[in-house]
Amino acid sequence: MNEAMSQPSNTLPMQAEPAAEGPDDLDLVARSQAGDTAAFNALVTRYRSRAFSMIYQMTRNEQDAWDLAQDGFVKAWKSIGRFRGQSSFYTWLYRILMNVTIDSLRRKRIASGTEFDDQIGLRQIEPGAATAPRAELQPAEKISDQEIRTRIDAAIEKLSPEHRAAIVMREIDGLEYSEIAEHMDCSIGTVMSRLFYARKKLQALLKDVYENI
Amino acid sequence: MKTFEERFTAWVDGQLTGRDLAEFEKDLANHPEVVAERAEARKLGDLLRAQPVPPLGNADFFSHQLMQLIAAETPRAAEPAKPRAWFWSLPRLAFAGAACLVVAGGLFKTLIPAAVSPGEKSKYYAQVVEAWPADPSISATTVYNSADNVTVVWLDGLPYIPATYALK
Repeated sequence: MNEAMSQPSNTLPMQAEPAAEGPDDLDLVARSQAGDTAAFNALVTRYRSRAFSMIYQMTRNEQDAWDLAQDGFVKAWKSIGRFRGQSSFYTWLYRILMNVTIDSLRRKRIASGTEFDDQIGLRQIEPGAATAPRAELQPAEKISDQEIRTRIDAAIEKLSPEHRAAIVMREIDGLEYSEIAEHMDCSIGTVMSRLFYARKKLQALLKDVYENI
Repeated sequence: MKTFEERFTAWVDGQLTGRDLAEFEKDLANHPEVVAERAEARKLGDLLRAQPVPPLGNADFFSHQLMQLIAAETPRAAEPAKPRAWFWSLPRLAFAGAACLVVAGGLFKTLIPAAVSPGEKSKYYAQVVEAWPADPSISATTVYNSADNVTVVWLDGLPYIPATYALK
């Protein structure tokens, strides 16, 4: 099967897919730009798992990840005529998927009336101070995989879409600051600041988890 | 000038180098807790990366559904406008000609009485084509008897034929 399998630690290939069989991405893109849906379907087959994984890391919900991956691919199809090959196809697709996901998370926030305050829990923490743990577990208490997942899901859900994106792109996808800044259309300083506060918040929420596994 | 947050983040990620790194680490001499902070940030990163991601279930159905969405959202390409001259292209002209022939044939068949075919024997062997009687009450017809091979000229309204007249 000609499908690039996802790796949890890195969903973003910054270079061409050497393992991919069949026509290369640029050939498939050129045919897609000419209206060949079969060629686009081949690109979907190649990157659907990776796209799903990346979005899942942001949403922590399989159904949302499925729907948003579909939305992202549809947007990619609609705008494929504007792809100029200045980056790899997946880098271009990644940006679309990330924007679709961030927009969705923002809409959900508005719909639910939930305002993310990334400073909550951090106001009492000086920038250089050690993170205050939420000692929900005793040190000797082991935590199950299911509970770890639940705790991580809950913690990430407390982050704003922008902070989620920064954490996922840096910690999971391993992007450089400049790449994150380009995807998020902001400065590198803003990326670093978002990473700082996102990490602080996650450390505050998950310290007992990573200290007990 | 970079803020503490920016310098700290760059330091955690190993992106701080040269003079910036030296200055930052000099400042850290008075804040040993920050070193522990970096270790925690790295543990957090390890924890996040270690989490398995569920695979995309029903991947083929995903593609199938997606391609249906794309087909529904893609406007059908408009038929390219053909030049007007092509309306009277050769195939169209040939078709129009054939249609005309069929219609004309149909009209001919239905409106024009069929002629007697040459093989069909008429009961009239001869026909009076012209007659110029002085009296309009007189008319001439012929009757052919095939058994006797005789043609009879029938004159209505004429009591007799004068002996000096002959049929031509």
